[in-house]
Amino acid sequence: MRRRVHAWDVMILVMLAAWAVPYFWQVRTSFTPDTELLATGSVLPSAPTLLHYRAVAEKSVMPRALGNSVGVASLTTLLALALGLPAAYALARLPIPAKNLLLLVVIASTAFPQITTVSPLYLLLRALGLRDTWTALVLANTSFALPLLIWLLAGFIREIPIQLEEAAFLDGAGRLTVLRLVVLPLVAPGVASAALLTFLAAWNEFLFAYTFTATEASRTVPVALALFPGVFEIPWGDIAAASILASLPPVVIVIALQRWLVRGLVAGALKD
Amino acid sequence: MTARERADRLAGLAFVSPALLALAALTVYPGLWVLWLSLQQRVPIFGIARFVGLEHYAFLAGDARFWNAGRVTLVFTAVSVGLELALGLAVALALQRQRAGRRLALSLLLLAWALPSVVTAKLFEWLYHPSAGLVNVILGGHAFNWLGDPRLALPGLIAADVWRTMPFVALLCYARLLTIAPEVYEAARVDGAGRGATLAYVTLPLLRPILLIALLFRTLDALRAFDLMFVLTGGGPASTTETLTVYAYRSLFQTLQLGFGAAVGCVIFALVMLVAWAYLRALRGEAATA
Amino acid sequence: MRGAALVLAALVALAGCTEPPRGAAPATIVFKHAKILGPLDPIPGLLREFERRNPGVTVRSEPLTWTSDEQHQFYVINLDGATPAFDVLLLDLIWVPEFAQAGWLLDLSPWVTRGELAPHFPAAAAASVWNGRVWGLPWNMNVGVLYYRADLLAKYHLAPPRTWEELVEQAQRIRAGERDPKLDGVLWQGKQYEGLVVNVLEHFWASGTALLDEHDRVLPEPERAAAALGFMRGLLESGVSPAWVTAGDEELTRRPFGDGRAVFLRSWPYAMDLFEAAGSPVRGRVGIAPLPGHVAGAAGVGATGGFHLAVNRRTRHAEAAVALVRFLAGAEGQRAITAAGVALYPTRVDLYRDPAAVAAHPHMPRFHALALVARPRPVTPYYLMLSTTVQPEFSAALVGVKTPAQAVSYARRRLEYMLSGLR
Repeated sequence: MRRRVHAWDVMILVMLAAWAVPYFWQVRTSFTPDTELLATGSVLPSAPTLLHYRAVAEKSVMPRALGNSVGVASLTTLLALALGLPAAYALARLPIPAKNLLLLVVIASTAFPQITTVSPLYLLLRALGLRDTWTALVLANTSFALPLLIWLLAGFIREIPIQLEEAAFLDGAGRLTVLRLVVLPLVAPGVASAALLTFLAAWNEFLFAYTFTATEASRTVPVALALFPGVFEIPWGDIAAASILASLPPVVIVIALQRWLVRGLVAGALKD
Repeated sequence: MTARERADRLAGLAFVSPALLALAALTVYPGLWVLWLSLQQRVPIFGIARFVGLEHYAFLAGDARFWNAGRVTLVFTAVSVGLELALGLAVALALQRQRAGRRLALSLLLLAWALPSVVTAKLFEWLYHPSAGLVNVILGGHAFNWLGDPRLALPGLIAADVWRTMPFVALLCYARLLTIAPEVYEAARVDGAGRGATLAYVTLPLLRPILLIALLFRTLDALRAFDLMFVLTGGGPASTTETLTVYAYRSLFQTLQLGFGAAVGCVIFALVMLVAWAYLRALRGEAATA
Repeated sequence: MRGAALVLAALVALAGCTEPPRGAAPATIVFKHAKILGPLDPIPGLLREFERRNPGVTVRSEPLTWTSDEQHQFYVINLDGATPAFDVLLLDLIWVPEFAQAGWLLDLSPWVTRGELAPHFPAAAAASVWNGRVWGLPWNMNVGVLYYRADLLAKYHLAPPRTWEELVEQAQRIRAGERDPKLDGVLWQGKQYEGLVVNVLEHFWASGTALLDEHDRVLPEPERAAAALGFMRGLLESGVSPAWVTAGDEELTRRPFGDGRAVFLRSWPYAMDLFEAAGSPVRGRVGIAPLPGHVAGAAGVGATGGFHLAVNRRTRHAEAAVALVRFLAGAEGQRAITAAGVALYPTRVDLYRDPAAVAAHPHMPRFHALALVARPRPVTPYYLMLSTTVQPEFSAALVGVKTPAQAVSYARRRLEYMLSGLR
C-alpha cells in the first residue's frame, strides 16, 4: 500500500534537513581537498578526497581514541547496568526502608553538576593511582550514568503488571527465578533503551575524560578531537574527518536504533 | 512478618546496596568532600593544604570575573532555553501533522542532539570561520569574526547550543502530542473551534506539563553546560563567553588551585539546587491552586 | 639584573663541587620531547651518537605535543604524585621554577659545573637556576624582535624606529604614501594566550615598569601598566594594527607580514628563516631591529623564550640521564641542531658566530646582540598562575571590554589574593 506524498511532509523534511546542515557541511568538508577548503565556491567538492581520513587514521591518535571510547563506554554501560538493574527492581518492587529518601537521593544525583565533583574525584583517583586509566573513566562516568539508569529502569519495571510476578510466586518460583524468567524478558526493551542512553552519554562525555587522562593510553574520542593538533595551521579537513568518525555511534543510534533511543528519552520525562 | 516478607526485605537490601555504595562513593562522598575542599587552600603540586574557612567565598563576593561569569551563565541559560522551548514547540507542532517519513524526520531531528558536544563545537568553529565559514558565506560574504568579536561570541555560542538541544524539547513535546486522543480534536471541531483556538485552548494546555518538565531539564543542563563553550571559545574573547563552569575549570586545573576552584564549583551546585527547588515549589503551588 | 644575581648565586653554590664519576651500568633512558617535523630532524642522529659514546645506554624518544598548554597539562598530570615513565624531559623555561618547587626535577647542581652555564646567553642560563640550584640546561633560545620592511623604510628615508611612538608615525606615513588598503602597520600577538602576556610584558618593560618587581610585588605601578595597555589598545583604535590582531598568534601574524602585507612585525627569530626562504615574497627585504622603547619610558627589550632539558627526579638512571642532557645542551649537540637548519636557535653564544651555524642561518649574527640583552619573564614557581590570571584581563583591555585601568586593578587584586595563598 503506497501512501500519498503530502506537500507538508516534504516541507517538514526539508526544514529538518536544513537544521542538520551543520553536520552535512562537516561531512562535505571531510571529503574536500585542502586547496578548496578556504575558497568555498560550490556545494560539493570538485574532486572528493579520502586524504583527510587517511591522515586521521595514520597520523593521529584517533584510532587509539576510538578504541578507548568503545572500551570505556561499553564498560561504563555494563557496570551501570550491573549495579542499576537490581537496584531499580528493588526500588520498584521490594519493601526497602526509607525508600522515598533513596529515590530523592537518586533524583538529586542526576542534577549534580560534574564541575562540582571533578576536583574531589581528581584527588580520589590520584590517591588511588588511577589517573590516565580506563578504570578512572568508567568509575567517574558511572557516577552520573547510574542515577539516570536506575530512574529509567525503575519506571520501566513499574509498567510491568505485578500480577505476572504474583502468579509466578504462586507457582512456587523464588525471587531470582521470577526476576530471570518473568521480569527480565518483559523489561528487556527498557534495558536496551537505558543501556543505549548510558552508552551515548559515556561516549559523549568530555569533562572527566579531559581531566583524568593524559596520554593516548586512555584519551577518549572527544578529548582527542578537542586537542586535535595543528602544527602551523588548523587542519580543518582532518578535524572534519575526525569529527565524522567521532559521531559514528551517535549517528548509528539515531538512525538504526531510533525506537529505543526515543523510548528512553521520552520515558525519563513523561513519567514523574 | 511472613517468611516471604522477610526474604523480600533482605533481597531488597541486597539488590539496592551495591548501587547505593557506588553512589555514596562516587557522588555523595565527593559532594561532601568538595564542600570541605572549598574551605581550604589546596594546591597539590606545591604541597599546600591548609584550612582557610570562608576566605575563597569572601573573595568571590567581590570578584568581578566571578560576577561576570555569573551574568554570562544567566544570559546563556535564559536565552538558549527560551529559544529552544519556542523552536522545539514549533517543530513538534509541525511534526504532529506529518504523515509519511516520520522516521526520517526524527533521524534528522535527533542527529544534532546525539552528537558529542565537542563535535558540535568543532562543527560550529568551522561554520564560523571568518573567511571560509558557511555562515559568513550565506550572509553574503561578510567577514564577521563570530568567535573573536566580543559582541558576537555569546550569540554565536548560544546559536550552537540551541542547534544542539532544540531537538530534545521538540521530541518531548512531539511524544506528548502523539498521546492526545483524536476525539479531543474532534470535540473541539464540533464546538466550532478554529485552528488558532484549538492550539490555544486544547493543544497548549495539554502540553503545559511536558513544557514545564522540558524547562526544568534544559535549565539545569544549561546552567551546568561546559563542553561546548570550553572547546568552542574557551571562555574568550575577553571572558565574554566565560560561564561559571568554565571559570571553575580554569581555576581548578590550569594551575591546580583545587580549593579556590572547589568554591566556584559549590556555588554552581547551590545555583542548580536553588533552581530545582524553586521550580518544584512553583509546581506544588500550581498543583494546590489548580 | 635579578637573573644575573641568580646565576652568580648558583655559581657560588657550585664552586665547591666536582664532577662525580660517570655511571656505566646498562640503562634505557626515555626522552620526552616535541618532535621536529620533516627530514631535517637532527635529534635521532644525535641520540644514536650519544648511545655510541655511552655503551650500555639506550635512548628512546617519546613524542610530546607542540602546544604549550597541552604540554603543561601532560606534565602536571604525569608528574604530580605519580611515577612517570620518562627520564629526560623538554620543558618551557617558564616552568623551571614551578617544576623545581614541586619537586619534580632532579637537582643538577652536583653535576653541572661553573664552566657549563657560562657559554649560554645570560637570560637563558638564569632560567635554569632556581633557589640557587641548577634544575635544567638551556637547549634553545627565543627572543622578541622587531621585523621591518627594509625596502619600505628606505623608500621613505626612515631608520628603524627607536620608540613605539616613532613606529606609529612611520607606519602612518608609509601607509599614507603607499595607498594600499591591504598594507597594515604593525602586527603582534594579541590573542588570549601566553604570547599576549609576552607582548604586554615587553610594553611594560619599555614603559619602565613590570608585572612582578624584585620584591615580588605584583603590578607595582598600576598607572604605568595601564598606560602601556592603553597604548596597545590605541594601536588598534588608530588602525595602525588591524583589529584581528586581538586573535593573532605567531603564525597568524607571521604570514601576512611574510606576504608583504605589513610594515612591522613583532615576533621571534624563527620567522626570519621563513622570510628568507626561497619563493618568499619578502625575501631580502626584511630588516631586524631591537624592539622599540617608549618615549617616556625605557629602551625596548625583547622577552626570552625557549626550551630547557631537565631530568625527572624519580629517574632510576640519574647518571646516564644527566649525561644525555649535558650532551644535547653541549656545544656539539647544539651545533648539530643549528647546522641542520631547523628553526630553533641555540642558547650558546659562540654558535652565533660559528661558520657551520651561520651557513644554515645567515642572519644569525643579527640576533646575537638582541639575545644578549634579552629579559626573562618573571622567574617564579607561580608564573603560570600569574600568566593565566592576567591573560583574560589584558585581552579585555585590548578589545575594549574593560578600560586598561580596570583590567590592571582587577588583575592586581586577584593576583595578590592568589599569591597570598601560595606563600
